[in-house]
Amino acid sequence: MTEVKKTYKHYVDGKFVRSESGKVYAIDLKNEKYEIPLTSKKDLRDAVTSSKAGFAKWNSLTMYNKSQILYRLSEMIEGNKESYIILLQDHGLSKSEAKNDIENSINTIIWYAGLVDKWEQLTGNLNPVAGEYFNISHQEPIGVTFTLNSNSISLDDLVKSFLPALTVGCSVINFSEKNAVIALKLSEDINNSDFPAGSLNIIAGKFENIVEDVGGHVEIKHAVIYDDISKESKTIIGEKGSESVKRISFQPPTSGLSSILPFIETKTVWHPKGK
Amino acid sequence: MNNWEYAESIESEKIVNIEKKYGHFIEGEFVSPNSKKYLDTISPSTEEVLSSISIGDEKDVDFAVNAAKEGVKQWSKTSPSERSKYLFKLARLIQERSREFAVLESLDGGKPIKESRDFDLPQVAQNFFYYAGWADKIDLAWGSGISKPYGVVGQIIPWNFPLLMLSWKVAPALATGNTVVLKPAETTPLTALLFAELCDEIGLPKGVFNLVTGDGTTGSHLVNHKDIKKIAFTGSTSVGKYIQKSLSGRDVGLTLELGGKAANIVYNDAALDEAVDGVVNGIFFNQGHVCCAGSRLLVQEDIHDVFIDKLEKRMQTLRVGNPLDKNTDIGAINSKDQLDKINELVNEGVNDGGELFQIECELPKNGFWFKPSLFTGVQANYKIATEEIFGPVLTTLTFRTPDEAVEIANNTEYGLSAGIWTEKGSKILWTADRLDAGVVWANTFNKFDPASPFGGYKESGFGREGGRHGLLSYLKASS
Repeated sequence: MTEVKKTYKHYVDGKFVRSESGKVYAIDLKNEKYEIPLTSKKDLRDAVTSSKAGFAKWNSLTMYNKSQILYRLSEMIEGNKESYIILLQDHGLSKSEAKNDIENSINTIIWYAGLVDKWEQLTGNLNPVAGEYFNISHQEPIGVTFTLNSNSISLDDLVKSFLPALTVGCSVINFSEKNAVIALKLSEDINNSDFPAGSLNIIAGKFENIVEDVGGHVEIKHAVIYDDISKESKTIIGEKGSESVKRISFQPPTSGLSSILPFIETKTVWHPKGK
Repeated sequence: MNNWEYAESIESEKIVNIEKKYGHFIEGEFVSPNSKKYLDTISPSTEEVLSSISIGDEKDVDFAVNAAKEGVKQWSKTSPSERSKYLFKLARLIQERSREFAVLESLDGGKPIKESRDFDLPQVAQNFFYYAGWADKIDLAWGSGISKPYGVVGQIIPWNFPLLMLSWKVAPALATGNTVVLKPAETTPLTALLFAELCDEIGLPKGVFNLVTGDGTTGSHLVNHKDIKKIAFTGSTSVGKYIQKSLSGRDVGLTLELGGKAANIVYNDAALDEAVDGVVNGIFFNQGHVCCAGSRLLVQEDIHDVFIDKLEKRMQTLRVGNPLDKNTDIGAINSKDQLDKINELVNEGVNDGGELFQIECELPKNGFWFKPSLFTGVQANYKIATEEIFGPVLTTLTFRTPDEAVEIANNTEYGLSAGIWTEKGSKILWTADRLDAGVVWANTFNKFDPASPFGGYKESGFGREGGRHGLLSYLKASS
């Protein structure tokens, strides 16, 4: 009997899709070889459209609800642990390294799940202004976020490239190149965790093909690069992004409170006090 | 409404002592510019030349940045509590000499003495007091992971609140352990130069605060200097975009505080007389030279006529004239260039079909002046409804429902500030949640405080100034 091999697709708007271009690129692992859909400029635009609608949906959920959805993701990974371990081993990790990484990723997800309904108590505050005013600074998510993950062979690093943004209410387009099989496998568990369609889109390909569009697309409100990219690519994103005063972050922190700070805007509201 | 007669009450200019010519302030002393080039700074209310200031060239900027690099060594050896005390001293000295600063600010920039004396200077001193106290508590603000300074910070500030913008930039930068090269605006450098004298007077370590005067080319040299670790800029969105572009691909921190076109939303259940006053303050404060000015009046359709009627009557009481007259509400437009820009946009508004109301008043013969103006009958696509005018010109739009008010308010690339006028608390909170704006004033407008973060969403920039959040603009996260 012939073994059935899995075809990995992108995960956009809650659906598993191929590239509109029909193009693929190969990822050659120890045992398996995969053909991964190659993101075109049009695919990126479609993902942004989905992400914009996904932002409205994700951001409108209560913090309690968002927190449970993230926790649900950790449950799904826990249930499929063995298959992740096999996949990471196929990427060259030893069994114990793979096991550690999966367990770390579950712990990371649970850490952020527990932060969702608390972070604003750490980042916002009343301001003691000199006068009879109620004055409060609180935070809002920046919005549609593109993240290029670190492309390392690690589920933990992967989840750290979208959890800080999701935690504060941003929607995320997560982009992979070398590690795409891991990310696209994860999208199956994402799909089973009650995320609203478009809140977290997982796409893959060659970053150099879309770098200009990531900088230039005005609906991408924040471009976040966790990978170590070339100076040329940084310059392109910066120059294109400057046309719309885009927020751009290169290798921001991936743990602790400082990991979520790049993803929020501070809004300060004043009101007089009186009788 | 008749115009009341006022007796003039002119603040004396004698308190200020303006030199004929100024150098840069580098490494703790005033030095002649390498460029050997100067430009005149004039009083916009009389067009009289006040002084000549140096135009910094590439070498001048290089001297200043090198001095600031040396300054980092000194400043990092200075204990946080000592840094704190230097800032407290500066605050005290500013208070002591605030009358002098206020007169100088009004002379050089054209703003009414009432504002420079009662708003700018008290805020400047308070800002140094506020950040002085943070200097030895940085670890408490955002945790020990976010507590490292950048090093040499380049700061470029605008002409609308010259000394206040200096204080917003310099106080948090020094409190967090950075050193500064500041470039004030070319039309309003004099209070920054006087501030430099105070730094010398309190014995601030050499190179911690450096000042290079000049024009846009000077600012550009600063942005492009290889040893700058961070740029903080306040000014127009177009220059902000240019700076962001220039820094692309470089590991240089950046915060931008740019333009705005704020909506001031008046619901039909607002306290109308208070709202009228708030709308007037929102747009005519500082001649409308305010990035967060409430320049778009969004009034609910059913109260449009009664509100506009009240507004025009209130506007007619505004007194335009000599900035040093304590009765003056509206001073001079900051420069000929700015006046030309305002004229151009207002003419375009009239040609587009907007209905223009201007108060009846006499304008002085010399200097740059513009009558407080109100546009009604405006379509949302007119330039006066979308572009920042940065002058005493208010544009009116109407709406029917709260949803529509929010939609119009957010229909702009800017996102700096917004105003809400209603007596209904739940409507304030509902509206505030939906406005894309960094600062929302409800039943008030144009209120500022050193403890209160200020800064924009969208193309109004990124980063905050003021409050605990303002510290983040000068601290790096270490992982």
